Amino acid sequence: MAKEMIQLTIDGQSVSVERGTTILDACLQVGIKVPTLCHLDGVSSHGSCGICAVEVKNSKRLVRSCMSQALAGMEVQTNSERIRASRKLNLELILANHPLECLTCERNLNCELQSLAQQLGVRESRFQRTRARLIPLDWSSSSLVRDPNKCILCNRCVEVCSQTQSVHAIDIVGRGLGSKVATFLDRGLGSSVCTNCGQCSLVCPTGAITERSNIEEVFRALSDPNLTTIVQTAPAIRVGIGEAMGMPWGALVTGQMVAGLRRLGFDKVFDTQFAADLTIMEEGHELIRRIVEGGTLPMITSCSPGWIKFIEHFYPEQLDNLSTCKSPQQMFGAIAKTYYAKQAGLDPRNIRVVSIMPCTAKKYEAGRSEMDGAFDYWKEEMHLEERDRFADVDYALTTRELASMFRRVGIQFASLPDEAFDNPLGISTGAAVIFGATGGVMEAALRTAYEVLTKETLPSVEFAQVRGMDGIKEATVMINDMPLKVAVAHTLGNARILMDQISRKESPYAFIEVMSCPGGCLGGGGQPIPTNAEIRKKRAESIYLEDRNLEVRKSHENSEVLALYKNFLIEPLGEKSHHLLHTTYTKRGQYKVFEH
Amino acid sequence: MKNHIEELRAKGELLLNPGCVDIAVGVGTCGLGNGAGELLKAIKEEVASKQLPIQVRSVGCFGFCANEPLVNIHIPGKPLLILDKVQIEDLPWIFASLENGLFPKDRVLCKISEWDYLGASATFGSGFEEIPEWNAISYFRPQKKIVLRHAGLIDPTSIEEYLAVGGYSAFFKAVWEMDRDEVLQEVKNSKLRGRGGAGFPTGLKWELMNKNEAERKFIICNADEGDPGAYMNRNEMESDPHMLIEGMLIGAYAMHTSEGIVYVRAEYPLAVERLKLAVKQARAIGLLGKQIPNTLFQFDIEIVEGAGAFVCGEETALIASMEGKAGRPTMKPPFPAQKGYLGYPTTINNLETWCNVPAIIAMGSSWFRQSGTVGSPGTKVFSLVGKVKNTGLVELPLGESLSTLIYEVGGGSSSPNKKIKAVQSGGPSGGCIPASKFDTPIDYESLQSLGAIMGSGGMVVMDQDNCMVDVARYFIEFTHKESCGKCVPCREGLAQELALLNGIVQGRGKESDLTKMEELGLNICDTAVCGLGQSAPNPVLTTLRYFKDEYEDHIQRNHCASGTCEELITALCSNSCPMHMDIPAYLQLLKENRLEEAFASTIQDNPLPGTIGRICHFHCQMRCRRDSIDEPVHQGEIHRYLADTMYTIGRESAIYQKLVDTMLLATGNSIAIVGAGPAGLAAAFYLVRLGHQVTVYDSNEKAGGVLRYGIPSYRLPKEVLDKELELFDELGVKFVFNRELGKTLSLKELQRENSAVILAIGAYRHMELDIPGIELEGVLQGTDLLERLEKEQPVAIGKRVVIVGGGNVAIDAARTLWRRGCEVTVAYRRAKEDMPANKSEIDEAIKEGVVFSFMSAPIQVIGDEGHAVQAFEVMEMRAGSYDLSGRRRPQESGNTRRIPCDTVIVAIGEQVDTGLLVREGIATDSHENACIERYSYKTNLEKVYAIGDLVTGPSTAAEAMGYAKDASQVIDFDLTGKRRFSSLFASFSYSNEPPLETPAGRSIAPRHLKITERKGNFAEVNRGYLGEQARLEASRCLRCDIRYTETKEVAHG
Repeated sequence: MAKEMIQLTIDGQSVSVERGTTILDACLQVGIKVPTLCHLDGVSSHGSCGICAVEVKNSKRLVRSCMSQALAGMEVQTNSERIRASRKLNLELILANHPLECLTCERNLNCELQSLAQQLGVRESRFQRTRARLIPLDWSSSSLVRDPNKCILCNRCVEVCSQTQSVHAIDIVGRGLGSKVATFLDRGLGSSVCTNCGQCSLVCPTGAITERSNIEEVFRALSDPNLTTIVQTAPAIRVGIGEAMGMPWGALVTGQMVAGLRRLGFDKVFDTQFAADLTIMEEGHELIRRIVEGGTLPMITSCSPGWIKFIEHFYPEQLDNLSTCKSPQQMFGAIAKTYYAKQAGLDPRNIRVVSIMPCTAKKYEAGRSEMDGAFDYWKEEMHLEERDRFADVDYALTTRELASMFRRVGIQFASLPDEAFDNPLGISTGAAVIFGATGGVMEAALRTAYEVLTKETLPSVEFAQVRGMDGIKEATVMINDMPLKVAVAHTLGNARILMDQISRKESPYAFIEVMSCPGGCLGGGGQPIPTNAEIRKKRAESIYLEDRNLEVRKSHENSEVLALYKNFLIEPLGEKSHHLLHTTYTKRGQYKVFEH
Repeated sequence: MKNHIEELRAKGELLLNPGCVDIAVGVGTCGLGNGAGELLKAIKEEVASKQLPIQVRSVGCFGFCANEPLVNIHIPGKPLLILDKVQIEDLPWIFASLENGLFPKDRVLCKISEWDYLGASATFGSGFEEIPEWNAISYFRPQKKIVLRHAGLIDPTSIEEYLAVGGYSAFFKAVWEMDRDEVLQEVKNSKLRGRGGAGFPTGLKWELMNKNEAERKFIICNADEGDPGAYMNRNEMESDPHMLIEGMLIGAYAMHTSEGIVYVRAEYPLAVERLKLAVKQARAIGLLGKQIPNTLFQFDIEIVEGAGAFVCGEETALIASMEGKAGRPTMKPPFPAQKGYLGYPTTINNLETWCNVPAIIAMGSSWFRQSGTVGSPGTKVFSLVGKVKNTGLVELPLGESLSTLIYEVGGGSSSPNKKIKAVQSGGPSGGCIPASKFDTPIDYESLQSLGAIMGSGGMVVMDQDNCMVDVARYFIEFTHKESCGKCVPCREGLAQELALLNGIVQGRGKESDLTKMEELGLNICDTAVCGLGQSAPNPVLTTLRYFKDEYEDHIQRNHCASGTCEELITALCSNSCPMHMDIPAYLQLLKENRLEEAFASTIQDNPLPGTIGRICHFHCQMRCRRDSIDEPVHQGEIHRYLADTMYTIGRESAIYQKLVDTMLLATGNSIAIVGAGPAGLAAAFYLVRLGHQVTVYDSNEKAGGVLRYGIPSYRLPKEVLDKELELFDELGVKFVFNRELGKTLSLKELQRENSAVILAIGAYRHMELDIPGIELEGVLQGTDLLERLEKEQPVAIGKRVVIVGGGNVAIDAARTLWRRGCEVTVAYRRAKEDMPANKSEIDEAIKEGVVFSFMSAPIQVIGDEGHAVQAFEVMEMRAGSYDLSGRRRPQESGNTRRIPCDTVIVAIGEQVDTGLLVREGIATDSHENACIERYSYKTNLEKVYAIGDLVTGPSTAAEAMGYAKDASQVIDFDLTGKRRFSSLFASFSYSNEPPLETPAGRSIAPRHLKITERKGNFAEVNRGYLGEQARLEASRCLRCDIRYTETKEVAHG
């Protein structure tokens, strides 16, 4: 059915838009980008800031263009003294309640409030400071830090947490000037149902929510001559880090990224994608075993640590559906400090594994007590004591933190040469790189599962049904005449739909991929700001381009992974895998006080 | 069902007409708060113990909350009597009256002979001729009871009584005799508008709801009344809860819904209790919860208690709150009619709106439109509170004027001598309407045009003791606290508005704050999300619009005229004294027996303490805190006593010398002051001490102006004035007499020869009375008379004198002529309480035997052939409607009367000699006074300043002197560029311990001449205090100036 079009005028120009279009979007069609602050496409239209106000003829008051529909015959004015004065005044009011510590703020030069003040020409603060006392920072989370003092109550974080993620870890409490974003009983993010997905930090227009930085520790490790520093990079970094260094959206910069990491001083630049291939080997075989032996189905992927915490809180009774595989980050850490340490003749205690992740939840994951398989592996052999206990992954940095490190040492990223990853843990396949996009794990698993089960070569390795940005995608793959029904969900809100299906015992699927963030890891909470639908699309394109560029595109064909099995693990789901590559989960529930 | 209801109705009728004496006590929250509960119990006990054939009931509130408890007494066949302020002590005479059937008329508020319940009517009976009908007393006269038609007459806990007064008949009419569209059309035709304040047409709202099809639909009654000082809805629920249920039933029928919700504040426990009971009763007889017979209609009501957030009165916030979310508004559209409670179409009406519906259906829309205006038909219930005599719930037809509400219903100012200044209409986010706009009709559009809103009907009246800056600050503090915090303009904007207001009331305001506040306020109105924010700046915007001078006074002079802003005042008396005399200081110094220091303290603020102590209007007394206990302290009498004592014992010269010694070094500036009246003298006193060379010019041959030539000696002996003028000679003030500006004194020359010229020539021109016969020989001007007598010039005065006017000149002339043996009549066109003269002067004149003829407007002076006055003809006046000053307009009765006399004195007021100003090239303002730049006292002419009455129009001597004091400070700064004024003031140390006890009792009256001793002489009437009296009176001071007490360490051992 043809969309109904309506006619209106904006600043005297006639424009025709679909019925239901907001005034804000209608303005874009005549080349006017009305300034906004609380509004965020697809996430939040809360109407709190009042910056996007425009004049509508015969309307007594100014109208919020972000929330009001364009109507036929409407006469909109976007530029008048009244509007300019009002926007400026409302921004001045916000600034009067905002610590003007821009120079020392994490978000300096990448702050929407700052840019807007510049854009609207605010040159003085005529109002007295509103904030009577400082609210303590929320340091309770291992992934995120909240500074309520910098919060402008735009509600974006609340909306993304509740609407996109269906987590509801935060909401605005209190009234009037006492309003603030808080967790249940104000106990802090670390004691809440927060999944650490970090989407809030991605949408925050100011520095009120940021990742908990580990930059200093990593720099210190890099400067320590007694330590061997090993870095692993997640698939989504190579399509994100370029943006943060001033390159176009979705720029594919694998080689430059490797060169940059070497310049920073890492002893070995490896790739999480190696572990992604390894994950497919383990997870693929786990799936096969569950199908063959009648295990709990559907099996659900376990790569996304936000998702893991989500299911532990909200669906503790469904933990058996989760694959027991650790995430690639953790598999990498465990292998690096065992297999690789042995191979390279290193004392695992002197290795520091640093991961570069598009994800804030990875910080939490790296700190989980289950994630120290390497220590247990060495414990007897090296006569280690409890106080020597070390984690498999020492530090998980976000894409943004890596960019910050590059900037700090003055690396001219765009002019770096392409360099290759180190061996052996730098070798990966096209199946691994697509882990960075929603549907990628599923596609990689299908490539392997199909060939392992059918012992045939796939006619085409690309599974188009599981690609793209639809919230929930499903596909049926015929394997040996057996239909394998699978589903892919990204965002926790979509995951919840599939989980409710499972709870109702109505799930038709054998295998489900869940990624916490919109678009998968490429849209992760640790990625460069801004990250929006358009940017996610570009990053995904680069991911799939990288896959096509690679000669080997199936995990079970990764030579170094095969070597790892041959020399160390023996076989997928074997004894060593069980200890190093698989994990257990915790029933958390929602309302008890969680100590992290 | 029908039969059952008929049975109940019959039962109710028996309750209302028991065939015996019926006593009913008003037990709303207001009544209970005043002891109605105990009263009811006592009445029941009395009736039971004596086994009297009396029925005792409880009813709701009849609306006169100030006079609760109200008790209705009905003797069969007689009118229903309403007794007010009934206490248990009154019961003996009440029962005695019941026995003999005679009720003393002054103990009964009013009677009701007949009552129209709008659906039923009642005839109570006839008799008690001397007792006024309820609608004959001013509180009820303009009222029309539609919503409150049952309140105070029926028992709110009895569905039987509700049925007996025609209750639910409108619903049955709707549901059995009309189809849904007819009901809707009737409501539409009535043009009823939302009584919650916004005034949206109710019928239209209902129609919008009907356009939406949905599986569920809700109607909601908004009874979340959150305005401070407003309690219309509470009373409506407490007094007549079934009316709401009936209204919602009719609405539900018209809107095809079966689910209703009443959202009521949990802070209204009694209302909630009675409403719950009413719902239960309605369910029990099948009105709620069951299908109504012969229809497909069924409806039920759920009561939701809100936790008390002001913003939850906003409909989207109310819905959010009911859904268990935080009470924060959302943007409209979508409107609740599209997507409301739980996402279903929802109609929300204010409680009062629902309550109008049964009356409209019962009586028809055309009947409804007969009340009110074309655009705003019907009535509105107002909660009238604040500084009016009568407070309570008032149901007025829309379109009545504010002055009717405030002056007639409210009875005007709650305290004599205090002027009503403004009314805050529409609650905390309404607007402050100044008294000068009280002729505005009360309807939605008119109030909006003033910057206010109808709101839910709160009317808070404020008088001169309210600071309008503080009023704005109070309301903004409220809305700022109640802001949900969602949107920036409201959350942050109101906080900034409050900060600016706080700065101003604490003396930290800047002139630029005012434009900033206005800009901010308009922006909040323009961009806030919901009604709370959009209207919250109204108090600031309206006070800025109507009371900007008060803001400027706070900012420019650190002065809060009403004495409200604590940081700006020491004591209320000092603050209200135009000269800001340090009253607590001299009272305390006197208490400590340090007379000379006490005198030194007074004279530095007031160079004429003996003079002003005799003739002042004593602004200080009007704001004395002691007044709240018994009577104010006679601060003025005390400084007069100090002055008199100093002059008697001759100790003043040492103090004068000290003033001379502390004069600042000569500045070389010469200043000419034109006019040696109070203003000119006060300016000379300060400016000469600041080191300027001061010359005072006056047209008379002596200094003093009105003090000498206007005030008779029996009030101010001229020796006192002469004595006090010596100080000016000591200080070196030069006087040049017999020089008249424009004639023998050239302003241009003065400008040329002086650094500054200060015009202080007062308002001395008398106002003309334009009536036939005014040209006759025996007609004199009051001011002329007094001046000529003082100058001992010959005046022809007869034996019988009529004086026209009501000001001090009229009274002075009257008392003067009385002393000279005349028969004196004062004719005044208004009532006694409207007279502008000092109340004590009027009382003394009455005591002396001056005859007053009030409500007598002059028509003509009648003369004989020889042009001699024979009589004075007056028109007898009736009190008409209220004017903007709160006084009733005198209206001609048509009856004239002649007062035989041979002399007529005209004393109807004075004014500035505008002609002189024009001739001298001085700009004038709209009042024809000299126009100056406020706070700089500059006229349009270079170096020329103007002060006193010349600028303000006629005022008191103290006001003129205070004006001069402030001007001296400003002019000195102008001339020297330095702030030196404070160096003129010595400080005195004295005890700052609050008195543990003060003498009990009223103020001490100074000795007065007996009336018999006054005739034929001009001896001073008030002889002043004796020493002990003065000290005792000073000890009555509560020392409210002390804010902090020092804690002294107790020495041990």
